[in-house]
Amino acid sequence: MALGALLLVLALLAPGFFRGGQLLSICSTVIPVLLVACGISLVIISRQIDISVGSQFAFCSILAGLLIQAHWPMPLAALAAIGAGACCGAFNGALIAGLGLPSIVVTLATMVTWREGLRWWRQGEFVHDLPETFQWFGLGQAGGQTAVLFITALVFTIMVLGTKYLSAGRFVYAVGSDAEAARLAGIRPHVVTFGVFVIMGALTGLAALLNAVRFNDVDPRTGTGLELQSIAAAVVGGVAISGGRGSLWGVLAGVLLLACIAPALVFLRLPPQWEKALQGGIILLAVTADGWRTVRASRSSLS
Amino acid sequence: MKATAHLLILSLFLLGLAGCGKPDRGSEAKTAGGKQITVAVMPKSKGNAYFISCKKGADEAARELNVKLLWDGPTDPDPARQNEIVETWITRGVDVIAAAVENREGISTALRKAREKGIKVITWDSDAQPDARDFLINQATPEGIGFTLMDEAASVLGGKGQFAIITASLTAANMNEWQKYIEQRRAEKYPDIKMAVLRPCDDLKDKAFSEATAILNANPEVKLLMAICSPAVPGASEAVKQSGRKDVKVVGLGLPNDNKRYVRDGITPSVILWNTENLGYLTVQAAVAVAKGELKPGVTNFKGGRLGQLEVKGDNVLLGKPFIFNKDNIEQFNF
Amino acid sequence: MKHKEFFRFETMLVCVLGLEILIFNKTGTNFGTQGNMFEVLRLSTEIGLLALVMTPVIITGGIDLSVGSMLGLCAVVMGKLWRDAGMPPMLAAGCTLVLGAAGGGLNALLITRLNLPPLIVTLGSFSLFRGLAEALTRGVDNFTNFPKSYLFLGQGYLFGVVPAQLPIFAAVSVAIWLLVHRTTYGRSFRAIGFSPEGARYAGIPVRKRLALAYILSGFVSALAALVYVARVGQAKADAGTGYELLAITAVVLGGASIFGGTGSVHSTLLGVLALAVLKIGLTLSDQPGELAGILTGALLLAVLTVEAVARKVSARPLRHSSAVKGI
Repeated sequence: MALGALLLVLALLAPGFFRGGQLLSICSTVIPVLLVACGISLVIISRQIDISVGSQFAFCSILAGLLIQAHWPMPLAALAAIGAGACCGAFNGALIAGLGLPSIVVTLATMVTWREGLRWWRQGEFVHDLPETFQWFGLGQAGGQTAVLFITALVFTIMVLGTKYLSAGRFVYAVGSDAEAARLAGIRPHVVTFGVFVIMGALTGLAALLNAVRFNDVDPRTGTGLELQSIAAAVVGGVAISGGRGSLWGVLAGVLLLACIAPALVFLRLPPQWEKALQGGIILLAVTADGWRTVRASRSSLS
Repeated sequence: MKATAHLLILSLFLLGLAGCGKPDRGSEAKTAGGKQITVAVMPKSKGNAYFISCKKGADEAARELNVKLLWDGPTDPDPARQNEIVETWITRGVDVIAAAVENREGISTALRKAREKGIKVITWDSDAQPDARDFLINQATPEGIGFTLMDEAASVLGGKGQFAIITASLTAANMNEWQKYIEQRRAEKYPDIKMAVLRPCDDLKDKAFSEATAILNANPEVKLLMAICSPAVPGASEAVKQSGRKDVKVVGLGLPNDNKRYVRDGITPSVILWNTENLGYLTVQAAVAVAKGELKPGVTNFKGGRLGQLEVKGDNVLLGKPFIFNKDNIEQFNF
Repeated sequence: MKHKEFFRFETMLVCVLGLEILIFNKTGTNFGTQGNMFEVLRLSTEIGLLALVMTPVIITGGIDLSVGSMLGLCAVVMGKLWRDAGMPPMLAAGCTLVLGAAGGGLNALLITRLNLPPLIVTLGSFSLFRGLAEALTRGVDNFTNFPKSYLFLGQGYLFGVVPAQLPIFAAVSVAIWLLVHRTTYGRSFRAIGFSPEGARYAGIPVRKRLALAYILSGFVSALAALVYVARVGQAKADAGTGYELLAITAVVLGGASIFGGTGSVHSTLLGVLALAVLKIGLTLSDQPGELAGILTGALLLAVLTVEAVARKVSARPLRHSSAVKGI
């Protein structure tokens, strides 16, 4: 609903916002966040959290760039990027599911380690001089953007269907609501948790790839703030941090809403520095509204 | 109780730290005793290609002069981190500090403290407060840079129209100096050209890209983007390319390698810079000379190694004049 | 049993600290000097303050991600009050402290009244506070040229040797230590962390205690902001970026469980020291700054892994399995 309101305001005050070019540009920026937000929703639904996604994103982006530079064919490099993300996720998952370490601390540690490690390795250098086949998969701007959109839509659909109809999807919700009950029902929470982190990593790798092909070189500082954006989008989209609840459609709405704030500010001629404040405000409002509803519901259920 | 036991261990460690150790005041045992000089050079940000190419020159000079070069700085522009690094260098007791300053006022305190402890201080690329350092190694006069930028912009715009400036940050002294001269030149010689908007990009290419896109969308009359920090030029050019607007051009201060493809495509008619490797090289040469006491106030000429004799204007050591890279010559350069 | 577990963790941390000191003494120039020791304490004051006040919050089983952004906001407000509103530094500082407490109050309100998870509330305020700071300065304003008397707080040395912020650091350490370890408030924090419902039934005013923890967090963040501005000599909107994570790292390194119920102030201080010594020792050993980050992350993981493995080996039942309680 909030998204609708924002779009309405924009339509009235700045119809230029809806010009094709701007919308398309928003879509391109939104795609990586959407994929990562979907992954992180799964993680949150299973009652964990992952704040290392930004560093994973940067790592996979650089890896993809370097492999292409070394003349690997694009499909292979893409798989490698996704695989690298999955490995990062596996590392997190092993520590969290295997050793029972708290996810926030583990992913805090991996976030810092991977980010600083990447910085040390690359010393801030971009990956330059990529062959023509890198940008937009060599399909040219329009073709490339369509390809990216298509891939994202495909993955999103798979995920929505998967969480609804695959038993693996339902397991995630089960583990998130009550892991003990899930265990007694025959589900293995540790395997589910591990799997969720691996999927998270793979999605991050894909998102990194789709984002990297927008340009013709790779910036090692990419992905900064991604964890905040995706968690915020998930929460605004209705995913409950206490686990067990949330739908990916809500996440889509959340991602779009938060992504529209920045360009909306430009078009409404408001100073851009309000972006962060607005984002924070929206998060708090969304969570408050959710909490209010729960409090009211429990009160009425008591009476 | 257990807690107290640990408190004791804690305090013991602290005492232990304090007790041992004789400070190695490196700055005292200078060159006389034949000890290797330590030159600590700090870029504005380690991750910026501009500074990475400066480092090559700095390394060369350090090898030539046989000094120990410490090259450290924040990965992204971060004035607080610059201060921390300077403070730690003071403890370490380096011989001379050469800093490219992100925030003039903030770092000057730390630099003054270094001078009090006997460490020599110079700045390069972007200045601190004059009483916090002995010399500024300047790539060109800010006047020269500002005027050249404005002249190029004017020739691309044909004498009238609107342009926008993308800068790194609003606190860096050199950016502010250049803007001042750009504006001065514009007001004097090109009153029909207006500057529509000025946006910072935090020295990040991606941010410059999105700022440029937003500027183009919100200000359709802007026909020229002037990017005065090196990551912003390719960022802005890419934004122009992806927007499909053939009527918008980009000029700015950038490295040849970053911009070759856009110059070829015609999006970027010209890029202005100086030889960054030489800047790094000169900085270390000057730093060593200052440490040895050879370069001191009142000197009007300085021999910067293989660069030959260079002009010293007051407390500014000048590298030379700004250089214009365009379609005719950019392929010859590789940095 | 809890004390013994704890003892092992703390000894490990003390060993780590000792190892760091030994190594850096060898590799770092001027590491083992009195001057450096004071510098280590001086440069870690701000994070130390944040970590100190994060300890009771984590003990209650909560978390406060907004401390770094609060530092930034307070720094900027301090600058604005002093420069644009013309207030004398002392008054501006006082107002800033009130603002900090108010911000903490906002967190406290949402967490206690609406039962919202602290992670999300403080994630929102993390964004909100930073955003307000950026909006106030239009992203670029930088307040500088504070009067020398104020700057002394962050840059001056008492008797020429002791950094001026140390007494503040020491005072706050003692105060929070007393609060957590010697008062009923502290005991109630532990009880709440162990089981909020149980605490409620035991008659502990859970809401009020939690509110205290978060308001205190905001207040001390404001204090840290004042020290920061005095030390760096400038107030910019990006002040304190990333500090919250360092503070949390120090607390967890010190053995507190992120799920609540355990944790001690002196261990947090050990954690702060370990991190500070690591960073400064590496710079003095001419190592790049990134290495500090890598080693910090690795250290955190190593310490946690060792503790988890040790727990499994001694077959003690885990109070909270990660897969059960999650975050």
